[in-house]
Amino acid sequence: MAPRENSHEPSGTPVPVETGFATLATLRVGTKAFVEKDGEKRKAEILHMRSRRGKPSFYVHYEDFNKRLDEWIDADRIDLSREVEWPAPEKPEKKKSAPSQKNQAPSKSDQKNLKRSRSKAEREASGTPDSTSVNLPGKAQRPSKAAGKENKEILVTSELPDGSTPKLEDDDIDMVDVQDAAAAAKSLPNEVYSREDEIEKLRTSGSMTQNQTEISRVRNLDKIQMGKFEIEPWYFSPYPTEFVDSDMVYICEFCLGYYGDVTPFERHRSKCTLLHPPGNEIYRDDYVSFFEIDGRRQRTWCRNLCLLSKLFLDHKTLYYDVDPFLFYCMATRDEHGCHFVGYFSKEKESAEGYNVACILTLPQYQRRGFGKLLIDFSYLLSKREGKLGSPEKPLSDLGLLGYRAYWQEMIVDILVDGRVEANIEDVGAALAMTTNDVLHTLQNLNMLRYSGKGHCIVLTDAVLEQRERQKEKEKKKGKRSIEPDKLIWKPPIFSAASRTWNW
Amino acid sequence: MTQRVTGQRFRQRKLSTKQNLPVLRENEVEKLVDDDATRHIPRVETGVEKGEEIEHHLQAIISAQAAGTAPSKAAQLYIPTPDAIASKLQYDDLYPRHFTQPATYIRFSSTVEDCIGTTYCMTSDDVAFLKGYNHKKGKSVQCSEDEFEEVMNFLEETSTTKQPYATVDNAPVLPYEDMEAEFDETIREHSRRFAKPIYEHWKNQRLLIGNRSLIPALKFETNLETDDADPYVCFRRREVRQVRKTRGRDAQVTEKLKKLRKELEEGRYLMAQVKRREVLIRDQLAQDKLIFQQRSELKEIKRKLSIKGDDEELLINQRPAPKPKPKIDVPAPLRGIPGMGQKAQMARPDGRLLDPDLVSHEEQVAKRSEMIDGFVEENLMKHQKWNVGWIDQTWRPITPPLEQPAAKSNFRPVFTSAQLPTPPASVSSEEAAAEQMDVDQENKQVVPRRSARFRYASPPDDVPFQEQARFRRRTGRGGRFMVDRRGLKRQKLESIDERVADRFRYADDSSEDDGVTDVDHTDTLHIRYRIMIDRQGEKQHAQAAAQNRRSVENHNRSASGHLLPPSQAG
Ligand SMILES: [Zn+2]
Repeated sequence: MAPRENSHEPSGTPVPVETGFATLATLRVGTKAFVEKDGEKRKAEILHMRSRRGKPSFYVHYEDFNKRLDEWIDADRIDLSREVEWPAPEKPEKKKSAPSQKNQAPSKSDQKNLKRSRSKAEREASGTPDSTSVNLPGKAQRPSKAAGKENKEILVTSELPDGSTPKLEDDDIDMVDVQDAAAAAKSLPNEVYSREDEIEKLRTSGSMTQNQTEISRVRNLDKIQMGKFEIEPWYFSPYPTEFVDSDMVYICEFCLGYYGDVTPFERHRSKCTLLHPPGNEIYRDDYVSFFEIDGRRQRTWCRNLCLLSKLFLDHKTLYYDVDPFLFYCMATRDEHGCHFVGYFSKEKESAEGYNVACILTLPQYQRRGFGKLLIDFSYLLSKREGKLGSPEKPLSDLGLLGYRAYWQEMIVDILVDGRVEANIEDVGAALAMTTNDVLHTLQNLNMLRYSGKGHCIVLTDAVLEQRERQKEKEKKKGKRSIEPDKLIWKPPIFSAASRTWNW
Repeated sequence: MTQRVTGQRFRQRKLSTKQNLPVLRENEVEKLVDDDATRHIPRVETGVEKGEEIEHHLQAIISAQAAGTAPSKAAQLYIPTPDAIASKLQYDDLYPRHFTQPATYIRFSSTVEDCIGTTYCMTSDDVAFLKGYNHKKGKSVQCSEDEFEEVMNFLEETSTTKQPYATVDNAPVLPYEDMEAEFDETIREHSRRFAKPIYEHWKNQRLLIGNRSLIPALKFETNLETDDADPYVCFRRREVRQVRKTRGRDAQVTEKLKKLRKELEEGRYLMAQVKRREVLIRDQLAQDKLIFQQRSELKEIKRKLSIKGDDEELLINQRPAPKPKPKIDVPAPLRGIPGMGQKAQMARPDGRLLDPDLVSHEEQVAKRSEMIDGFVEENLMKHQKWNVGWIDQTWRPITPPLEQPAAKSNFRPVFTSAQLPTPPASVSSEEAAAEQMDVDQENKQVVPRRSARFRYASPPDDVPFQEQARFRRRTGRGGRFMVDRRGLKRQKLESIDERVADRFRYADDSSEDDGVTDVDHTDTLHIRYRIMIDRQGEKQHAQAAAQNRRSVENHNRSASGHLLPPSQAG
């Protein structure tokens, strides 16, 4: 959870928030004010401020909106007629747990580094340093007074409230967790990760970050140009720092190389000979092709791909290199070449049994059914491997909806064939889905019910209606699906040497 | 959050995922009003980060779906995302129509670096500089964009190698002299002409940005403490587990390095030799051309001086006059390779003397061909011995078919071309030479076996050997004259309609063992059977030989089943 959304922390004590009226001059990073968004006023937090030609602008995050809707706004959209919430000061350093203390150290030294003032500002903006301790039981209450310009400066002087007792886990949460424990034991993202824990975990497996420090940053690119499209990035991605000043970053559709200006990009295009993702084509139908790319063999291309996809995946981490992943890239074809549409990455060896690490349809191709093809393909690979698979967590909001729709369609399709009995594990095995995912899908659709005689699976009117509509749509628009016999692929086998993380 | 609240009062009911559950429709389930579970949707782990799970747009969709009502409305809900709009750039100019899809799935292993040419790409500043520079210079010394980029790239790369920490150290820009000293094959001769002026431009550009790289680069780990907090630092190496150092491991590593080194040198030597060969071929071609030109000049002179004579001999390389039975050619691959000459090469291309302990390539080649010849000889002998008293009708039972003359000498073809409705199909000259049933067999020169190499001949399919009718007269015991026939076709048998024959196949009620079998004496079945037996023998022999062989990877048997000599790795 982003640290700024304190009000939603289940274990958070309601912190007295200092409110008051602000002027443009007194607005600062961390302040929450009402901002006009699509015709309504929404509470938003100022994450960053800048001034261009004497005109201030503010980078704001709207409460309860996904970070991809964060944006730069002019001062006139901020409603100063209403009270604002002043930022809470940071907690004293000595109260922090050991790992977060470590975390704090570099950021302090960084403060001296004027060269990187921007990244410093970002960290400040997201309130990174105290985020790790937010969830820790027994944490101190926030000092109620905010004073001084620089939050960090007041840390030392702020006093600890007397008698602050360790806060117990919310009863409510406890109950729910018990209820769900059977099904959800593995994929719980509510574990509290310290950054160090997480980095160690990521060293050996996984591609997603759970940690708040990674995920709340100001977007660094304004716009990218790729193929026939101009796209607004959604999230931060560690492209070269120089690009912060570019109005547009140009990305080669084939090698995914990046250029901060149109001239070098055009020069590159005159030299670049790549016409498709640089790997073996393992699937081809009338509509799309899939290419398998080894992160170890195509380091540059895969890094380029990760940088690009980080623009649209909040939780993806680029902390470590691409070696342990395979990238399955989907492309459409024409005389220009194979246009990269979307991909999913997959660990060569997933300790957790994930069959997808990151999955993305490029925004310019979204809402056209490509996501379903990607998901379907990932399960086809799992079927070939004879394994059950599940996507790495956390899922994004779009990822969750995509997967839920796919799971629902697949499971209902199986159940609707006239059978009178079904067994959850068998359904999972037929779809290469984990038992948990089948169970969750059934529960979520209210298809798993209990009567006096025991559990039963109910094909509800809602899911049947949904299926009808889907079939209707397919009849009209044509059905796009992955044809298993067009996959020419054997699960790759990696020697211990090629799998290890070294170079 | 609302879901959590509703979920809290359920008791966990045991559910076995292995157990078959009845699948029912909604109308088949009793409405159990008192059961909480049927009224509430249990909270299900979404896998989405908790903080994001409660986001407005996602919640709107989830609750719409959960409500189960008005799904058409729910379908219209979606999560808003920032825009993607059509670009103003001319796509067709940037991405020409170069792609043709191969019939088979693409297999590709080139890297990005292989495909993008010079990494450095000109900026608008560079364009301006180059324009100015070329404007000042004459037409003859124009610097192309490619040359410019090549030099810039060289300067960038050299600077990165020589000053890896330039950004941290605040190191001064490398002087031109240092750059010049580093010139290598990455910068072509004709690009070097522009190195100096481009260096000045490059230096200015570097100075503008504090001697940082002109190509925007990612931030990699510097192993400084600031790394971890810097969101721009990416793609870190996953540390290698420290391997404990031991003497044994050291030795192992040394051995491996030595081996790699040796293999590299061998590869390099091979490449040098290949290069040498190609140069020699080029020289030879030049010589041939020269000879030809001089000959044609000579021809002109002959014309002028009106010397009569055959010009042919001038223009065509002299070859030994064709003999009645020409030699079997030395196979082309062996003929064409320079460096396979008789003289042992005493020095390596780098001028160093050959190590006397080293086995020279020539010796190896000689030894090898000796082996091969010996093997052939042996098999020929064996085959001939085996054939004693028999006529071998197989088509080249083994290659080379050197024993054939003896075996077939007594047969004479019937030369009835005048009466034949069609002339016999033509055979290639080589074949004609080898197979001709000449009367003057005795006159033929014995071809030295040494020169007999292999040919990868397959039986001609156009004219089967057997089809030509031949006869042989011999004297049997008691002075009987016998005429052996070969290649005769009996019309009668062939003209029987197969379908008619088939009809009577089982009409005869005699059993197999009492009847008299009709034998068609012109049938080649028995010969074919023998060939089969023969080949099986060869196969067995080859298998035995294989055990003595060092290399088992080479298949010593051609696809047609002909025996090939053992391959010698070496
Ligand atoms: Zn490119």
